[in-house]
Amino acid sequence: MAGSIRVKMLRAHRNCCFLLSLLIIVVGSHALDEREASLAKELHDKGWILYSAKSDNGTWDLFMMRPDGSDARNLTNTPDIEEAAPRFSPSSDRILFRSLKKGTKIDHDKWGFQGQLMVAAPDATNAQSVGGDGEYSWASWSPDGKSIVCLLPKGIQVVDLQSKKVVREIPRKGIYQQLFWSPDGKAFTGTGNVGGASWNVVRLDIESGEVTPVHIFQSCTPDWFPDSQHIIYSSRPDNQKANNGYGWTQLWMAKGDGSENKLIFGQDGVHIYGGALSPDAKYVVFTKCPVDGGGSESEGAPICIMRMADAPTIQGDSAELRAQHPNVKDGPVLELAKGWEPCWTFNAIGETK
Amino acid sequence: MRAYLQVACRILAICATIQGCSKSGGVAHDPKLSTLGTIEVTAKLVDTGGEFPPNDLYDYAHVMKYEVQQTHRGKIEGNVIYVGHYNPLKARNAVADERVKDVGGNVTKFIAGDVHRMALVAPIDEHFMGGIVNKLPESGKGPIYWALWTERAG
Repeated sequence: MAGSIRVKMLRAHRNCCFLLSLLIIVVGSHALDEREASLAKELHDKGWILYSAKSDNGTWDLFMMRPDGSDARNLTNTPDIEEAAPRFSPSSDRILFRSLKKGTKIDHDKWGFQGQLMVAAPDATNAQSVGGDGEYSWASWSPDGKSIVCLLPKGIQVVDLQSKKVVREIPRKGIYQQLFWSPDGKAFTGTGNVGGASWNVVRLDIESGEVTPVHIFQSCTPDWFPDSQHIIYSSRPDNQKANNGYGWTQLWMAKGDGSENKLIFGQDGVHIYGGALSPDAKYVVFTKCPVDGGGSESEGAPICIMRMADAPTIQGDSAELRAQHPNVKDGPVLELAKGWEPCWTFNAIGETK
Repeated sequence: MRAYLQVACRILAICATIQGCSKSGGVAHDPKLSTLGTIEVTAKLVDTGGEFPPNDLYDYAHVMKYEVQQTHRGKIEGNVIYVGHYNPLKARNAVADERVKDVGGNVTKFIAGDVHRMALVAPIDEHFMGGIVNKLPESGKGPIYWALWTERAG
């Protein structure tokens, strides 16, 4: 009899524990939903996210959406070509992107060599070809928007967009892809070879020609903060046990001299790429993909946005990552449409459409 | 019956050897060997520079060590050179891609001890724009050559 009462009490205790856990999960997720809703509300009027994505017509097109994910629109809707990797000019009065033959697989490692470079209005209208297939490799904007900067084996070339003349040549010092010019015009950042190893993020000072490693080992896709002092990049740190020892790629930042390396966002189970700041550097947009490379070969990956004030944030169980970064803020992260290589403007674009 | 099979295998082996010799005798080489780059050498691959990195997600150039047996064109210093081969897990006739359009040859695998005839250019940094894997620290003393065309020799 006493044993029966004890069993009943144990069952009741278990049921209570289960209900309590359920309550915690429900309340917790509700709180997170509220925080996400609050972030979405905060973001709604903060310009536009421009990105490439697989569209219903089966090809990659250029899209735009509000930073809360609303008002998404296909800007190009071209079923006969693939369009990818759009980027606003510094004043957001134009965009550049690459246009590829229909059916071309967008290679996350070689896309800067693929297709034609195009320049268009910020809503992707009036697109003009700048050169032929494979020309102007890894092109990105100069700070004044009048030129583009390209990576060639013999060096970095600054090309005047109006005349298409090479106006300056600079040794590339081992940089081999993802080249971006700082807003203040003083330096480049890119992915390069350093000391017999590839996949390092570096800063190249234009005046002195000096290369400074920003982050050594398995790092890439760098971009500038608006202050020209900090660089955002993806990094897959060494000695991770997860993913059969391959590890997961995280979003990091550092000063241009390589100091003050800090985690921005990480989550075991996904690779973080395409990190870019909002124009006021208060928010960061990125993609999280279960497959390494960012998903350009398939359908892209969810575009995410979080506050920089919430960095570092870690999502999911991520036991190994949390053990390395115990003081995280666990801020809300908005998960939006699938895409690849997002960028951000605060300008009003196409809002009269 | 077994004796006949052994004789047939030997004849086939001899035929294969004769065919190999005729290809490496200097007449069957692709004209690109003598036109691409600035240097043409016959050299023995003495060190492949460690395990080749996987190429399922990323393609690299991998630096290997050679002992030069003969210089056909151009000038090199010493008889040991370091050569970067693009995506060495791939056969040379299938290695060209959007990043590297002007590489080729008939080598299918890189094996230490093999002899290659190569069209080269230097330094690699001015001719190849991609990740370079170099596990041979002694290569830092001289230029690293970039292999444009690689054929079997000897």
